[in-house]
Amino acid sequence: MDEKKAAILGEIPRLRRYARSLLRDRDSADDLVQDCLERALVRLDNWQTGESPRRWLFTIMHHLFIDQMRKVNRRGEAAMLPLEASEAQAAPAEQVESIASREIVDALQAISPDRRAALVMVAIEGFSYAEAANILGVPAGTLMSRIARGREELRTLLDDAARRRSIRIVEK
Amino acid sequence: MSRRDFSERDIHMALDGELPGDERTAYEAWLEANAEMKTKSARYAADRAALRAAFNGVLSEPVPVRLSRVMLGEAPVVRAAASRSRWWLAAAAAAILVIGGAGGYLAGIGRVGLENTAEDQLAEEAIAAHVIYAAEKRHAVEVPASDRDHLQSWLSNQVGLKLVAPDLAAQGFQLVGGRLLPAGQGKAAMLLYEDDKGERISLFVTAESAAKAKGTYGSEEDGPEAVYWLDKGYGCAVVGSLPRERLAAVAKSAYGQLVAGLES
Repeated sequence: MDEKKAAILGEIPRLRRYARSLLRDRDSADDLVQDCLERALVRLDNWQTGESPRRWLFTIMHHLFIDQMRKVNRRGEAAMLPLEASEAQAAPAEQVESIASREIVDALQAISPDRRAALVMVAIEGFSYAEAANILGVPAGTLMSRIARGREELRTLLDDAARRRSIRIVEK
Repeated sequence: MSRRDFSERDIHMALDGELPGDERTAYEAWLEANAEMKTKSARYAADRAALRAAFNGVLSEPVPVRLSRVMLGEAPVVRAAASRSRWWLAAAAAAILVIGGAGGYLAGIGRVGLENTAEDQLAEEAIAAHVIYAAEKRHAVEVPASDRDHLQSWLSNQVGLKLVAPDLAAQGFQLVGGRLLPAGQGKAAMLLYEDDKGERISLFVTAESAAKAKGTYGSEEDGPEAVYWLDKGYGCAVVGSLPRERLAAVAKSAYGQLVAGLES
């Protein structure tokens, strides 16, 4: 196996983590990773020697994610099917570790995809602002405002979830 | 050492390792002197730790064979069409949030919170009531639309909300009447509407809700679907077997009028 493929193989766990944070559902996230790997293979020649495989792959995956989001947006209400919602939102059991963990995963899913991607890129994946802006294809200022708004939104959602939880406890 | 005013923006930069090293000391001093900002910074750091903890497990999961196979150049695993489109569905659900965020009311199919939620219960009760009463010819309602003022004041008193029956004529629906129903620990008002073809929809309103949520819900295939929303102090669902777009339009109109009524 050539070096490029070996390098890509080594990035799969990181790609899976990023995909999971974007899409939550495990199978859907792995579908996204698979699409990303397939596209990467086709474009192997575009990958310049010396360029970080991680950045290259994250860029490919982000484009796939955004393309799909745009398609869905154009269809608008196609997304209103309850079946889709329940399917897409159901968290696989093995993923549920604790209430706190589930709450933050829920909250992350509830913020806009743009903000989610920016926040995850920096806060979980550890990219610098410059790297993340480059991967997401936005100016650094846009990235920063997405991160700031994303964090604030996440905080509000978590507070709401905590409030609901305490109400439930009081009711018992 | 640079002398400049810091702001909330610097909290993010510091947290993300983007604050220039020579500003660090001044930043720390600013944070110490600013309790509100210090709390915010600590909170963001805690949320980030929780985020990392929630997703770190993925790194140690074994890589699914179908993914490593792609790279090992073996014959690709053919995914069924249904499976291939699955992540698209997840994306679709997420997209609703974008539409909602832009000012739409259909903000949240993505539920924030715990399992078996209040909104599930609300939607299920609303659908159950609709299935029973919308099919009734003679006893669909307790108070007919001809007695609209009494209907509104009676249901408002019983449910504990200022209830105004929405005018859905623009969507082709006329009020048939309403009835009182049990809901959870309390009561719910059901308002029944009908169009000129006899198609019925119902509005289900309760005063019981501590949560904020919005979305759609269907209990079974081909059954009626509920568009619901919950806010602090009330929960509403619009139920019907209409094409989605029409149900959404009706729900949007009903929502606007109900909220305006509640807050008037």
